[in-house]
Amino acid sequence: MMNEKILYSYTGIFNTPDEVKHAAEEALKHGYKKYDVHTPYPLHGMNKAMNLPASKLGYVALVFGLSGALAAMLTMWWIAAVDYPIVTGGKPFFAFPAYVPVAFEVTVLSASIATVLAMLFFFFKLPNNSHPLHATSYMKKVSTDKYGISIQAEDPKFDETSIIKFLEGVGAVEINAVYWEEEEITHQHKILEPKFLTFLFFAAVITSGVTYFTLNKLLFMQPFSWMMEQQKLSVQQKSVLFPDGFGMRQPVNGTIARGYLPYEFKGQPDVAEERLINPIPISKESLQLGQQKYDIYCSMCHGYQGEGDSRLRGQFPNPPSLHSEKVKTWKDGRIFAVITEGQNVMPSYAAQLKNDERWAVINYIRALQRALDAKESDLQ
Amino acid sequence: MSAVDYTKELPVLEGKHSLRELDDLIAKPLEIKPDKKFYIALSITLSMLGLGIFGLGLTFYYGIGMWGNNNPVGWAFDIINFVFWVGIGHAGTLISAILFLFRQKWRTGIARFAEGMTIFAVMTAALFPLIHVGRPWLAGYLFPYPNQHSIWVHFSSPLLWDVFAVGTYFTVSLIFWYVGLIPDFATMRERTSHKIKKITYSIFSLGWRFSNRHWQHYEMVYLILAGFATPLVLSVHTIVSFDFAVSIMPGWHTTIFPPYFVAGAVFSGFAMVQNVLIVIRKVFNYEQIITIDTLDKMNKIMLVTGSMVGYAYMMEFFIAWYSGVEAERFTFFNRALGPYAWAYWIMVTCNVVSPQLFWFKKIRRTIPVMFVIAVFVNIGMWFERFVIVVTSLSRDFLPSSWAYYKPTLVDGAILIGSFGFFFTWILLFTKALPVVSMAEAKAVVDGAQPSHKDH
Amino acid sequence: MSSSSIEYQKKDLPAKIKTIGLALFIVGLILVVLGYVVNPERSAYNNIIAFTFLASVGIGSLFFVAVEYLAGAVWSTPFRRVGEFLSSSIVILPLLLIPLLLNVNNIFHWTHPAPADKSLIDKAPYLNVNFFIVRIVAFWLIWFLFYYFITKNSRRQDQTKDQLITRTNTKISAVFVPLFALTISFTAIDWLMSLEPHWFSTIFGVYYFSGTVLAALASGTVFIILLNERGYFVKGIHTDSYYSLGALLFAFTNFWAYIAFSQFLLIWYANLPEETFWFLQRWEGSWKFVSVGLILVRFVVPYFGLLSQPSKMEPKRLITMASWILFAHYYDLYWLVMPNFSKEGALFGWIELGFPILIAGLVILVFVYNAKKQNLVPIGDPKLKRGIDFRL
Repeated sequence: MMNEKILYSYTGIFNTPDEVKHAAEEALKHGYKKYDVHTPYPLHGMNKAMNLPASKLGYVALVFGLSGALAAMLTMWWIAAVDYPIVTGGKPFFAFPAYVPVAFEVTVLSASIATVLAMLFFFFKLPNNSHPLHATSYMKKVSTDKYGISIQAEDPKFDETSIIKFLEGVGAVEINAVYWEEEEITHQHKILEPKFLTFLFFAAVITSGVTYFTLNKLLFMQPFSWMMEQQKLSVQQKSVLFPDGFGMRQPVNGTIARGYLPYEFKGQPDVAEERLINPIPISKESLQLGQQKYDIYCSMCHGYQGEGDSRLRGQFPNPPSLHSEKVKTWKDGRIFAVITEGQNVMPSYAAQLKNDERWAVINYIRALQRALDAKESDLQ
Repeated sequence: MSAVDYTKELPVLEGKHSLRELDDLIAKPLEIKPDKKFYIALSITLSMLGLGIFGLGLTFYYGIGMWGNNNPVGWAFDIINFVFWVGIGHAGTLISAILFLFRQKWRTGIARFAEGMTIFAVMTAALFPLIHVGRPWLAGYLFPYPNQHSIWVHFSSPLLWDVFAVGTYFTVSLIFWYVGLIPDFATMRERTSHKIKKITYSIFSLGWRFSNRHWQHYEMVYLILAGFATPLVLSVHTIVSFDFAVSIMPGWHTTIFPPYFVAGAVFSGFAMVQNVLIVIRKVFNYEQIITIDTLDKMNKIMLVTGSMVGYAYMMEFFIAWYSGVEAERFTFFNRALGPYAWAYWIMVTCNVVSPQLFWFKKIRRTIPVMFVIAVFVNIGMWFERFVIVVTSLSRDFLPSSWAYYKPTLVDGAILIGSFGFFFTWILLFTKALPVVSMAEAKAVVDGAQPSHKDH
Repeated sequence: MSSSSIEYQKKDLPAKIKTIGLALFIVGLILVVLGYVVNPERSAYNNIIAFTFLASVGIGSLFFVAVEYLAGAVWSTPFRRVGEFLSSSIVILPLLLIPLLLNVNNIFHWTHPAPADKSLIDKAPYLNVNFFIVRIVAFWLIWFLFYYFITKNSRRQDQTKDQLITRTNTKISAVFVPLFALTISFTAIDWLMSLEPHWFSTIFGVYYFSGTVLAALASGTVFIILLNERGYFVKGIHTDSYYSLGALLFAFTNFWAYIAFSQFLLIWYANLPEETFWFLQRWEGSWKFVSVGLILVRFVVPYFGLLSQPSKMEPKRLITMASWILFAHYYDLYWLVMPNFSKEGALFGWIELGFPILIAGLVILVFVYNAKKQNLVPIGDPKLKRGIDFRL
């Protein structure tokens, strides 16, 4: 039985820290490479005795700390100065001093987490609970009050007799061989193990179930729903208070919605042409607004250029061009009347466009007309 | 015992211990079943916690109106308790990080416990902002995450800095604590023969092997973490102080707030750690690990930080007068002589006067006396936050809106509940994890380190 | 028992150092006198910088000596004398103080407040010439007395090797430290903050304290390294002690940044005109560059210069950073003081050079004088053996 086992290492136990330190120095001198010292707590001067190079973990902390700081600053800059700029307290959008605290915290957080994770998972290759040294009498001792050295079979200079001699030479009080256990060698981590898959399945079901319940049920139960269910009438709710049973009420007579001044020339486009004057001067802003509204509401018939060049062209009735002499000579008030009331097949756009927007559209139409009929002087 | 021999280093642990005895002593509470005393203690803390939950239930059901907050005093017990508990948490990191950087070996006996207290205190503190948001289940909005409303948190708000500071502090303290626990988990793994315990310890020890190739990096990481935790602990209470100090409220807006808050936090934290440790060392027979010398040194730190706090009180008062600003002068006059003068003088007596008794060596080394003083310090530090928050708010710029603030029974229940919450965690901790670091305690035993031969 | 086993041969400093000190002193003195003749007001402002700088070195060093006793630290015992020697700068402080006291009316405009300036008249119970002089004299007496007793006891121990002296000094130090905190804060308020008497900041005393600690540590480090590299200490000082000094410099550089940033952030954020104007003065004209430079000089350079482990252990790099920090402290004080004199923009000329040269010379001369009379190593100190064996 014993012979079938594969040797992992030879271990020696020492009673005092001085002895184990000496043993480590000797092992180094003998040219052993794959050996390790196990002590219940870190010993001073051991790095030197084993000639270990300085730990590189400081660089991990530095790199992750700096990138954490940079990432935090950039995120805050983007959020506060680019994505959603908002003035508070008269401070600039990118208020650097106010962002220092958060940037600092993120630096510390990312550096600490990265360093610890790097140490445990990349430097130590932990978790590893199936190491041959585990659950040996050697481990029991070095975890409490003894000091041990372990020289591995993988070492190029490994040789059973000379190792035993070496360990005796440096004064080990106990020398043992440590073997791999069967399971540790044959055991392979398979992702597709049934156990693991079952675990994954249940984890997925439970997580999604809980998430579903929380987001769709729990948050709509009392008391979480109290903010939603308040003692007031929402739109389109019934009400017993009013005889007609509606929660929503008609506005008081004579109420005017903002931006929708009543139109007083109903059915009198000619009067409107005479009386209405475009109050919006031509400016970049008004033309941009006009273009936007024109493209949304007018272009599907009149076309983007106003020539009736939409996909309705060729059907009956053919959408009229806005570049006709008739429209060109109309005053702004007339066009306003058409937009407000509609004409022939064209319906009223009073509900879609506020008064100001109608004037802006008219300005834009004038710009279109002018563009197709440019004069020499426009170039200047 | 009159003269100290300066040629010799004070031993960290009293008496002679073999390493195995130390392990046995530290692991004992984990290996025996909890006794009656434990259950009595637990039932007390759970009752306190229950009272707090009752208070919270009332608050959530009927709303914040159950509290004493009134119009000018919109911030009261919730923020006071928050600052108080975050402050308690500061001693742990100070002991584990700053004293580590200063190579103070006496921290060994108390570090693990104080770190645990840090974590529990921060957890307790975090309850209060959650309560205060009114709908704690929506606290997720405190974190910046991309959402369809394109609404972000405001990064210039000190309350948001708090979210980051307390969140980071909690995470880093937990990591720090866990890294320290890994070797102890491994020791426990090798000790125990109980199957479930063995599996649990194996998982948490990650298969630690006490290898010196690991210890080397481990010590490096401990140093790095201590290096990060030190400015972190300063930043946390600094940012808490910013909650007040960036405003223009007289009595809140004063530049000394950051270091003054940090000193106060360490002060109250040490008082709490000292109180709890006095009980622990008695119950678990840790008199030789948590020695009277250690308590003596903790009392000295309380004397120093208490005096720093006294310095800040003095400087605030002086500069309030020196500034010549009417509102500033009034606020401080009002603190000392106004309707809340009783709170102010409780604060001064407990925080500045009582720790001065620690100038006497005899008092520093007499357990009942130091226990009482530390209790006073905690009372005083709670009142310090009360004085800062309530006096400034209750009499602000507009005399017509002045009002006297009185807490309600529900406020009191929640405060008691927070103590219940904190001490319940502590009790569970003493039974679940080694309260003294085995690896560190063993490392400071006489003869545990190789003798110097290399020079 | 153990202190007898330490063999210490007193070595005299080379005469060259004394010559250098003397030369610096004379050159500085000539420049200063000329400066006072040409432009007394400007010189007086420079004099304040020099006074507060030398106070930092002297009182700060004494603070470190006291803290060593209080904390029972051993690693710094072998070179504690360097701190003691430097703290004797306290004795020569009046040299810089007298011209200032003669010029009080030129420098501090609270001495003659405008009748309409209600705020200044309000402050008169504190800010008046008589009380001002009483304060600084009292402070100096406190510093001097503690300096006198602590160093005297320490010297006495060289002969008697009496352990009780360490105990006595510990007690004296315990009284000194709180007094130090108060005196240094009010020195900062009197000499630096009251230059602009309308401005106020509660953290200001801590701000000056942070600079003081840095100046004392840095000047100590410079002398310790220079002497140790030439073998003036018993067995030499281990690089672990260099590392500790470097780590302390690094820590207090961060501490300064913390205090300075806290002060700035709170004032910037609250945006109250009675506070912000002080920073705005330092943003006027070319002061803007000096202000930005302060962040670089005082924080960024020492921070990255001392971040890595080797930079704290290699004598050359450490001494460079320590000297830089000394310069940075002077720069900081310049930033605090000079905007009150030249409001439009920063100015720099030969008048500004006189005082730094003078105090460099003075400190060297004081050090040489002490080193001649006393042992460089406290051979009677019971903690010496442990200090020499100190390893991290």
